[in-house]
Amino acid sequence: MQADPLNQAEPANRTPKSRKPWLSGRLQGLFSTNVSYGPDRIRFVALCFLGIFATISGKLIYLGLKPEAPQTVKSAALDALSGARPDILDRNGDILATDIKVMSVFAEPRRILDKDEAVELLSAVLPGIDAKELRERIGSKKGFVWVKRAVTPKEQQEVFHLGLPGIGFLPENKRSYPNGPLAAHVLGYTNTDNNGIAGMEKYIDGQGLADLHGAGFRLTPEDLKPVRLSIDIRATHVLRDELQEGMVRYRAKAAAGAILDVNTGEVIALTSLPDYDPNNPVDALDKDHLNRAVVGVYEMGSTFKALTLAMAMDSGKANLNSRIDVRGTLRYGRHTIHDFHGQNRTLTLPEVFKYSSNIGTAKFALMVGIEGHKAFLRRLGQMDRMKTELPESTEPLYPKNWSEVSTVTIAYGHGIAVAPLQAQMAVAALVNGGYLMRPTFLKRTEEEAKKDAERVIKPETSEALRYIMRLNAEEGSARKADIPGYFVGGKTGTAEKVFGGRYVHNRLFTTFMALVPADKPKYLFMVVYDEPQGVTEGHGTAVAANNAGVVTGKVIERVTPLLGLAPRFEPPTQPFPMLAKLGIGTRQPQGTTPR
Amino acid sequence: MWRLLHVVAIGALVASAGYAYTIKYETMWYAEQVVITRNAIAREHDAISLLRAEWASLARPERLQELADKYLDLKPLALFQIGRLRDLPEVAPKVDVIGDTIDAMIAAPTPTTPAAPPHKTLAKTPAL
Repeated sequence: MQADPLNQAEPANRTPKSRKPWLSGRLQGLFSTNVSYGPDRIRFVALCFLGIFATISGKLIYLGLKPEAPQTVKSAALDALSGARPDILDRNGDILATDIKVMSVFAEPRRILDKDEAVELLSAVLPGIDAKELRERIGSKKGFVWVKRAVTPKEQQEVFHLGLPGIGFLPENKRSYPNGPLAAHVLGYTNTDNNGIAGMEKYIDGQGLADLHGAGFRLTPEDLKPVRLSIDIRATHVLRDELQEGMVRYRAKAAAGAILDVNTGEVIALTSLPDYDPNNPVDALDKDHLNRAVVGVYEMGSTFKALTLAMAMDSGKANLNSRIDVRGTLRYGRHTIHDFHGQNRTLTLPEVFKYSSNIGTAKFALMVGIEGHKAFLRRLGQMDRMKTELPESTEPLYPKNWSEVSTVTIAYGHGIAVAPLQAQMAVAALVNGGYLMRPTFLKRTEEEAKKDAERVIKPETSEALRYIMRLNAEEGSARKADIPGYFVGGKTGTAEKVFGGRYVHNRLFTTFMALVPADKPKYLFMVVYDEPQGVTEGHGTAVAANNAGVVTGKVIERVTPLLGLAPRFEPPTQPFPMLAKLGIGTRQPQGTTPR
Repeated sequence: MWRLLHVVAIGALVASAGYAYTIKYETMWYAEQVVITRNAIAREHDAISLLRAEWASLARPERLQELADKYLDLKPLALFQIGRLRDLPEVAPKVDVIGDTIDAMIAAPTPTTPAAPPHKTLAKTPAL
């Protein structure tokens, strides 16, 4: 007979006669050591343990099934924090963009006791706070609200000493650009949440950083490898400095410049003026601050003659000994084409380039024909949008109905509008031996560049073009950029701008392309000015040679040693070997005399 | 004897509990130290990145150009300022003027002592 130990009514060893009081009877039953109570007691203890474990597992299951964690301050803040970004370095390892830790002030509206007092004190201590807006935000039902991001340490101290409940600090990453406005258009900028919204910052986000942030990974700056750009910050500074000085001296509306490495397609420097400071990009979206080298389309003028003459030579329809009659004017229906400083005689191809004859170039283009012309320009990437790592790009403009008149005008650079960097890409392809490479802002080796490059002209044509560019620098309009020791080759371009469907004589767009050095090409410099004025009075004083050419010369002089090219004391002995076999260019150029 | 055993057992129990909890608290203390050190490392990393940004800002080309223009008297390099070894004039053969003079003095007879004529008496004296 099992006695239930809980039911102390009939303990087995109770003497039937003695009637103990109920409580002490039960107590005695609880502590009795009667063996027969054993199994029941064990069962009871087991039941208790089972109950405890069941409760624990039940709670675990419940917590596991709950859809979201309770919204504590920390977890809500983590969503709002700005993530770390990789450093951006220039090609030599100098820092172009980096993260620094700053403190941001937040508020928990539920914990603030006196909201008006809090708003008053905060707006007194922190500059730039809109009190009304802050009061609204604190008055809302949210659990977490930003008060001010990126406060200085002093401000943090003062807010701390206010001693307000519900106000706290969280560290955040702020993007800092130590070089100020240098390479601003290339780098782009970030928003307050440290997401890239322009330039290379946006490109880096597009490479997977945005996905990582979205997936909730908290990245520390050590986890991220720095991004190496092809930009050289010292060269960019020199370019910007000289462009800025020139913009003031020639009272131009805008300016842009770029340096390309012709063998790798890397952009060594890119500047567009006016520009902005990415540390404070409030005016970055201003229409005037756009990246003119990449996004602005302009009629490049006579620099396109290099493309036309290369086309004529490459097609076999002309060579360096071809002669063209440029007397008078060329009439095409309503249009009359005349030369600026017309020579009024028969010119050879190099002379057409040297004297920048519109008539001569037009006749060369007509030799190739409309279809050949279109195909050549398409091959050189002048008819399609140029895609670089920058998210900004633009479509070139060219006539939909391409007639012979179009070919004639496009031959000397009017009638087609491209971005300056696009034209520079084409000229680089013409001078580096015939490989068209997409300009890149990331560091790239020559092998990688050649892998993706396509051949657009023959090496002989490339050498011929370099020859005529060098001739232009010695004897033609590019003399102002002929710095002794660097064997420079160049081409000017002075284009009239179109206003109201007509070309206006006194509003010009000047360009200059310079190749350093012309025998073993390494760098292609480009400078463009928008509406420069002549320094001296008179007609023809605002031509490219006087502004863009002069500035390019100064840039070459300062930048080329920085980039590692030493000046040479004697001109190269066999600069154009393929042409020498044909008997061209064997006369030694004039010795380089110091100026 | 059983009492002694009981006492010993309880003592061992208390000692082992004490040991276990000592280990536990020591571990907690070390864990705290690790967290403190990690925080210190993170602070140092932040300070380093801030200093790197500051250095980059102080060494930016714009500022250096301003300072160079203000304090240094440097001008841009011109081609004629660089010289090459082969542009130096040919090394003239070494001429030791003093040594040559001394040699000449030793080799040539001095003009003040005329060459002594042979002793007349000695030359003509027949053998005695």
